Amino acid sequence: MSRCGVNSCLCCGAFFWLSFLSAQDFQQRGFIETGLTVYPQTAPNDSSHAVGDALLRYQASYKVRPWLRISGALDARYDTHQQVERSLALDWQDRSLRRPLLALRELNATLSKGKLTAELGKQFIRWGKADILNPTDRFAPKDFLSVTDPDFLAVTAARVVYDTGSDSFDAVWQPRFTPSRTPLLDQRWTVLPESLEGVTLRDLGSIFPGRSSFGARWNHIGKGYEVSASFYDGFNSLPIFQAVSETDFRRLYPSLRLYGADAAVPLPWFTVKAEAAYYTSPDKQQDEYLIYVIQFERQIKELAMVVGYAGDAVTSYTPGLQFSPELGFARAVLARAQYTIDSTRSVSTDVAVRQNGAGSLLRSVYSQSVGQHWRVTTGLAWLRGVSSDFLGQYHRNSYALLALRYSF
Amino acid sequence: MSRAWLVAGCWWLAVGALHGQDARQIVAESQTRGQSKSQQYDGTLEVIGSTNKISLKRWVYQRIGSYGASKSILRFTAPAEVKGVALLIVNHTDRASDQWMWTPALERDRRIALQDRSTRFFGTDFSFEDLEERDVNQFDYKLEGEDTFDGQPCWKIESKPRQGKSSQYTSSLLLIRKDNYVVVEISNYAKDKLVRRIHYSDVQKQDDIWVARTTEVSDPNKGSRTVLKLEKLQFNVPLKEESFTLEALRRE
Repeated sequence: MSRCGVNSCLCCGAFFWLSFLSAQDFQQRGFIETGLTVYPQTAPNDSSHAVGDALLRYQASYKVRPWLRISGALDARYDTHQQVERSLALDWQDRSLRRPLLALRELNATLSKGKLTAELGKQFIRWGKADILNPTDRFAPKDFLSVTDPDFLAVTAARVVYDTGSDSFDAVWQPRFTPSRTPLLDQRWTVLPESLEGVTLRDLGSIFPGRSSFGARWNHIGKGYEVSASFYDGFNSLPIFQAVSETDFRRLYPSLRLYGADAAVPLPWFTVKAEAAYYTSPDKQQDEYLIYVIQFERQIKELAMVVGYAGDAVTSYTPGLQFSPELGFARAVLARAQYTIDSTRSVSTDVAVRQNGAGSLLRSVYSQSVGQHWRVTTGLAWLRGVSSDFLGQYHRNSYALLALRYSF
Repeated sequence: MSRAWLVAGCWWLAVGALHGQDARQIVAESQTRGQSKSQQYDGTLEVIGSTNKISLKRWVYQRIGSYGASKSILRFTAPAEVKGVALLIVNHTDRASDQWMWTPALERDRRIALQDRSTRFFGTDFSFEDLEERDVNQFDYKLEGEDTFDGQPCWKIESKPRQGKSSQYTSSLLLIRKDNYVVVEISNYAKDKLVRRIHYSDVQKQDDIWVARTTEVSDPNKGSRTVLKLEKLQFNVPLKEESFTLEALRRE
């Protein structure tokens, strides 16, 4: 985007928000968070032990008419580890390898009339019912700069939902592709094969798909159950790495077609949630496979527990190197437990163990709010395994974290 | 069996049934008098912990539909970190309600599991079940006598969930004012142990409906309590059915 375009965007945005500040039906919220992540071990491509980062997020929405709401969010961030760009330009595309310093996180208009809702613009679209892995969640690219703590990215799309209360029909058209952000080559969340140690790799950039993506979903709420079916025709937000020469590579985004389903059945003793998706690759650039999740959820007083299994079955192999955390967390037992100590304190633990024992993640987090605005979070993550496993390859990336958030 | 025993038995059954019917009628009348097509208020919550630490929360509540089969949405407006978190409750007359929670930080809704309802709602002393409406047909009632509460004569009624009704409480003791049929206290028991007491006060008449503007929920085991005050209360406001769907939960 040209500087002129960026400035126009900034001016429009500023005008847009300032014009709303005095309005009555205006809502805003946000936070400032600073965090410190400490890694006891170095990695072959990353000698640092500590990463500091700060994020300011501001979200606002304005109900222009009873049937029209405009929503937007801005992020401003900085870090000590070059994971954040240093350019002051406002980014709205989320196509950069590093996180933008200033980003338009979302900006959309929601129009509603009766049972019909249309949402236009940069927005978050979440599909699926499972909590530990969502194979049907295709309009939800992620920022994987830290693989074990991904953050969602919005997509530029038009979404129409017809909701009768018991049934909803959801159609999405995404004219412009948003990729997931993969780990940086010179940092610890990229683990290169030993054969490439010492080799200077040259990143030739990404080739983004030209055509748009489309998806549709139907959700039904029945008496004691909830079920959905979904379809997606577009591109995988996770790239394949194509070698151009011995040292040069570029990113390609294979076409992807998905047939998915998910269900939730609350039973007296636990709630069962299941989600499955079958991915095909029309351009045969990636594997075709089924990925599924089944989870059991139970609440005992203030203790919430989710235990599940994520599995996969590859039906067609395509040779190539792909970054695929979805498959990386499959064939694994995944669990989460959260205990609410009181109205201000909670503790949670996440566990992921590959069924072959080749990789595991154990993460515990303690969080406490202080007063009406502050929250302190501290935690430990322990990664173990062998280098050939997706999770196991990060065995040098165990970490401790401390974060302080001020919400407003 | 002698004739005298038969008469006595019939009399006992008849009186028992009459008492049951009376209690049920009182509760039904209480619900009928409090009925409105819709309701809306801003709620201010004061959560007072066992160490007297106070935290404040605010929410906006909207309800549409008849008692027991209504739909409601509760949306947090404070504190800042939970602003936008919302709960959709769809009540059913024949079974436990369906509940979904919308968390803006995750940009998704999540179904609250049936067995989750004994959990405290967002650190308050309300449990998810306490936010449901109690349909009169899902409970058995028994008149336990009379009592006074804040100087007002009340009926004392025991309610027990019917078979098939999922509840954390094995029984509840209701105090209902005789003059206006307003429920002023509910003591909830789990296996004869008092687990939660809900006290309604500041009873006022608005739009021809008697309503308690202050609700205090206390958890005797934890030693904590939550005080909910209703502000900007309105009945029969023009709300639309389509504002109480999962899509509406997300878009507002």
